[in-house]
Amino acid sequence: MILVNYLAAVALFCIGLYVLLTRRNLIKIVMGLSLMEASTYLLMVSFAYRAGSTAPVLLSPPAGKTAKQLAHGNVADPVLQNFCITAVVIGVAVTAVFLSVAVRIAQHYRTLDADRVRAMRG
Amino acid sequence: LTRVSIDEGRALSHATGREATERQPLHRPWVGALLVAGVAAAFGAAMAGIPREHAPLPLIARYALEIAIPQWKLTEPVNEIVYGTRGFDTFGETFLLLAAVISVVVITRPREPRRGYFGESAAGAREQRQDDPEIGFDATEDEARLAERREQDEQASGGTEPARTPDATPLGTPSPETAEAMTIVVRTAIRVVLPILAVAGLYLVAWGFSPGGGFPGGAVVLGVLLLAYASFGRRKISKVIRPDLIETLELAGAALIIMTELLGLVFRGSFSANWLPLAQMLTPLSGGVAQLFSATELLEVGTGLTIAVFALLGMSHDWARDADSDTTDRGGGKQGK
Repeated sequence: MILVNYLAAVALFCIGLYVLLTRRNLIKIVMGLSLMEASTYLLMVSFAYRAGSTAPVLLSPPAGKTAKQLAHGNVADPVLQNFCITAVVIGVAVTAVFLSVAVRIAQHYRTLDADRVRAMRG
Repeated sequence: LTRVSIDEGRALSHATGREATERQPLHRPWVGALLVAGVAAAFGAAMAGIPREHAPLPLIARYALEIAIPQWKLTEPVNEIVYGTRGFDTFGETFLLLAAVISVVVITRPREPRRGYFGESAAGAREQRQDDPEIGFDATEDEARLAERREQDEQASGGTEPARTPDATPLGTPSPETAEAMTIVVRTAIRVVLPILAVAGLYLVAWGFSPGGGFPGGAVVLGVLLLAYASFGRRKISKVIRPDLIETLELAGAALIIMTELLGLVFRGSFSANWLPLAQMLTPLSGGVAQLFSATELLEVGTGLTIAVFALLGMSHDWARDADSDTTDRGGGKQGK
């Protein structure tokens, strides 16, 4: 029933997208982006899951299994775990960029309301 | 505008006896809902057709699992993928991280060059008093400025210096807490936890048993520094958390990563190939270049995240007023930015 995880990831993504489209508070928009980011981590980790699998560690396979068997389908997919590990770290740094932009906007326009940040329109 | 709404909020909360909550304005909620419903339907349909838990492992995953021990002497296939098979991808992501960190540094930089993340505005205070003696606008702004000076400066100029620790503060004192450090209970707990956390993080990186090596290790480094900052206050960490030191370390890490990967091209004819001899399995040197890459990544990620977080924490309020409001404000007098 890993499909439930996939659908949960879709639901998280959609909540984040709805926040992004409809909220006007910049901090909440950043939170929506983080939620969308988290939904992709959930999706990738769920993709990596295999029924009855163990962690991809080669040192000592579980009783009755050889290392060769593990390589042919009884471990979680390590490539997708690799994506998550690097994406989480970069996600933190990108969120820091968003937040510093939000602070500068708040200082310059004295508001966090995205609809009031429209000096370019005159 | 903000000041008016704060006063209104205070008046409202006094009148009703409840805390005033901000009404949350929405931007075209029905259009948003329609678009999100469309995205949800498309993604939901896509999820029905993608591989599930009984699908065989993809070819690249099987390849990585098979070569991890013979080619890299690594028992941790995730590490083998991060720093070996997909090393080029990790190399690119490192510089994505560096780009994000540089963006934070550029966006958060103050008007004057700084030597520390906190306490720098004290240096310009004397000059400010000479050139622009009429600081301040009204009581609210003066109060806010004083609060920020207390938070940012070594000594708060004007006003009493806040306590170093809240140990002497009686229980039940109304917030906000102005002491720089946390209570002795927290400090004692952090003193016990910090070395264990730091050693565990570095141990996992050194022996190559943690999936991702330097990436989670770098996050642990940030966690250690933030715990120390939160519990002991900024004065205790200001010798280590200096922009000149950690920005140099960050760029040194980037240079080492480039060197590590380029030497593969020089010695083995392929970028990110292993050019180091492989040691016995389950030893710190077993992964060859993967372990070197992991250690340099620890430096890069640890300092990069630290720079991003402390630059954000050290952002001070820009008190310059807008050009149009300057004409009416008392004591504004700033030229346009």
